[in-house]
Amino acid sequence: MNRWIGPALAAPVTLWLLLSFAAPMFVVLVLSLHEYPDPFGPLFITPSIAQFRDIVSDGFYFGVVSETILLGLGVTVITALLGYPLAHWLARMPVKYRAAAFAVILIPLLTNVVVRSLGIILLLAPEGLINSVTGLIGIPPARYMLFTHGAVAVALAQVFLPFMVLALYDNLQGTSPRVHEAAQSLGASPAVRFLTVDLPLSLPGLRSGTVIVFLMATTAYVSASLLGGKKVWTTGMLVLQEAIKNLNAPLAAALAIIMTVTGLAFAALCAYSLNRLMPWLKGKPSNPWSIPRWLVPIINILGPIVSKLLLAISLLLLLLPLVLVCIQSFNDVPQATASGFRGFTLKWYEAVFFAGTYADAFWVSVQLAVTSMLVALSLSLPAAFALARYPFKGRSALLAFWLLPMSLPHVAIGVGMLRLLQIYLIIPPFLGLVAIHVIVILPFAITLLTTSVMGLDRAQEEAAASLGASPVRRFFLIIMPGLAPGLFAAGIVGFLLSFGEVTVTSFLTTARLTTLPVRIYAESTFSLEPTAHAISAVLILFTVIALALLGRVVRLDRLYAR
Amino acid sequence: MNVSRRTFNKLIAGAGLAAPFHIIRSASAQEPKKGDELVVGIWGGAQEKIVREHVEKPLVEKYGCKVSYVLGGTGDRRARAYAERGRPSFDVLYLNIFESRQAVKDGVTQAPTPAVKNFEALYPSARKGGYGVAFNPCTIVYDKTKASKPITSWKDMWNPEWKGRIAWPDGLGAEGISALMMAARVWGGDEKNADIGFEKVKELKPFAAIQGSQAQLFEMFDQKLADLSVEFGSFTQSYVETRNPNIAIAKPVEGQALSMNVACITEGTKNQKLAEEWINLHLSEPCMLAYARQIYYSPTVSNITVPDDIKSKLVLGDADVAKLVDFDWDVINASRAKWQAKYDREIAG
Repeated sequence: MNRWIGPALAAPVTLWLLLSFAAPMFVVLVLSLHEYPDPFGPLFITPSIAQFRDIVSDGFYFGVVSETILLGLGVTVITALLGYPLAHWLARMPVKYRAAAFAVILIPLLTNVVVRSLGIILLLAPEGLINSVTGLIGIPPARYMLFTHGAVAVALAQVFLPFMVLALYDNLQGTSPRVHEAAQSLGASPAVRFLTVDLPLSLPGLRSGTVIVFLMATTAYVSASLLGGKKVWTTGMLVLQEAIKNLNAPLAAALAIIMTVTGLAFAALCAYSLNRLMPWLKGKPSNPWSIPRWLVPIINILGPIVSKLLLAISLLLLLLPLVLVCIQSFNDVPQATASGFRGFTLKWYEAVFFAGTYADAFWVSVQLAVTSMLVALSLSLPAAFALARYPFKGRSALLAFWLLPMSLPHVAIGVGMLRLLQIYLIIPPFLGLVAIHVIVILPFAITLLTTSVMGLDRAQEEAAASLGASPVRRFFLIIMPGLAPGLFAAGIVGFLLSFGEVTVTSFLTTARLTTLPVRIYAESTFSLEPTAHAISAVLILFTVIALALLGRVVRLDRLYAR
Repeated sequence: MNVSRRTFNKLIAGAGLAAPFHIIRSASAQEPKKGDELVVGIWGGAQEKIVREHVEKPLVEKYGCKVSYVLGGTGDRRARAYAERGRPSFDVLYLNIFESRQAVKDGVTQAPTPAVKNFEALYPSARKGGYGVAFNPCTIVYDKTKASKPITSWKDMWNPEWKGRIAWPDGLGAEGISALMMAARVWGGDEKNADIGFEKVKELKPFAAIQGSQAQLFEMFDQKLADLSVEFGSFTQSYVETRNPNIAIAKPVEGQALSMNVACITEGTKNQKLAEEWINLHLSEPCMLAYARQIYYSPTVSNITVPDDIKSKLVLGDADVAKLVDFDWDVINASRAKWQAKYDREIAG
């Protein structure tokens, strides 16, 4: 009987992915084996490796793929460096203020990627905020910060830092205060305690965060095109160009597959090296991390300074672009990208509230995001238990399959769906979008929830069982409260991923069903007005109010703290 | 209800037989009914607002129909229309000049016909690949305070004073292809001999940046990151008036490059008559003038009266329209993939 629990728990998510993800994936695979593009030709023809041969023999593609991977690594390192102090700060925050503090990472996530990237532009531009501030203290302006790899890395770090923080937070706040007391009583200073206790214990979170951020950064293209100004190439941009501009689906498909394989290989490598640092997870003997005695005073002096500095940088990186977005929403300029304050106006808010074109799209987005998030959570929770508690044969292969949607650029799913569009159009539009959005959420929900399930204290369940609690009671009274932080994090991430998804959605929205981000994106392709900023500012306000209210009505500390 | 295998097979066969009939029937233009829905794929922003006011309103008043929009850039729209060839979810689709001509060839959209009343008033160059709804020529736009003398020729881009100050257009969209083809033409090449263009453009490197959209270019002008580019004159005009009076829109002796927004009716639409009426209304005076006044898109029909105050900012009349440089889009469309690869490797980056 027990043998079947794992596969049974893993079945729902696998089934969902097979139905709605494997089909476009398969189409992408078949397309990549076409010898030449023919948008109206049959799907099944004699396979050819021409596309792959072309890609491998062409140094240009090799250059772009390695550039993308380096960029992804850079972004991952930046988010980890900035994410630790921030997650640590959140985890140590008194429960009373934690809801407010969480706004720091939730608000950026709720803001559209296009709008956030525009915020970064306002920050880095020659007459932007950074140069204005450094100008005040007499530093000559850095005119060429935009359209560089650095600018793209900063923008991507801004976009993905919240994901890293959420992954780290779960582990950091789960460390028992008694462990800290023990470390302290043995003479560890806060800095040394962080390095020798918190850091090793948070490695599982770092692992999920690294994999998520790396894969998202290597498949991103919106920020890369806005801030790289085509001087920076990423594989995602190349796939989009071939698929949409050149209608060369085979090349796009082949590139997408190469991108997926290299991305996954690198992610596996990251996960493997981090696993090597955590032998205790496999029950192998391990030595505690120690720091040479001569280094301790230096760490004690530098630690607080460096961590405070990094915390300040991460807060500024997350919030400054948003402040600029809010300011821009009152700016009387004809286009969203115009910098410099021209005069105060409320006309963008008028357009949002009274022109009414955004209201419909906004409600579609909210309904879609809530539905997709709930479906994704109910599918991934059993899967997380299967992974963490009921090992079965083929589990790793299945996990790789579950995580595929994350490493496959969304635009590639779009390429596949494009071929399936005529079949797809038969499905009710809302259901179709839910199917796709759930796929986008699943890898994140599974990764986050698995980490949470692994962090559960089995002793508590055993204690409850020995006191006569039935499995159902144990699930609701012991397991669910323990999982609350993980569920909360996964729910938020899921909601936001769906709420912000543009790439696949823009292929699949119909005239009757348009989501908010697709609308904003549609405007930006012609000329984006600061209405986009006004919507974002309204959403920011909503988030703050919602979190404050939630904090009063629901005991938020129960959600966060175990 | 139990469906036996035999009944099921009958149903399938019936559906199969009915399908061709359905297609034939839809091709004939039938009178629109109240409640019919017309799906229009168009750009968001100003254009959406104009057609809502000047096309949707009168159409809905006349037929009691409903209009829904799929907003976005032409790329997504075109990719979708190709995927749905023969069974379109769009009725009217707005494309750019080369996409529209290729789409007619590929059987995705219909060639224009006099079924649209205003067809007769269209300039000849606006009768290809669908119904041209706006001339929107591309030309050199530059910061005149940085120029030693006004730009009068496409060759002036090679004046050393612009070295390192040019934001070259991204890829082979309307702006990119115009810039590349004009480069080829003024230096002795043409569409069939485009390598000259590539070689000359490479001489312009290093670029200050590659601009991916009008919005991005204007930001570069604002921030003084670049001083010259090739862009639509129309939208640049409103930028000049609202944000940056230093920018000039060149009128080169060789002519500005013809570029056009084209309204296309999809092959297989079920709302043929409504779609034709929609386009007819788009070509009517109120809509054309709204486009001209709000975003300086020049009318493609000769039967309207343009107020004097905007005349100088538009391309008007047979002589002006004839001066626009049109390219051999068949050759361009056939070479696109090869040129894109060349562009990515030799011009961008």
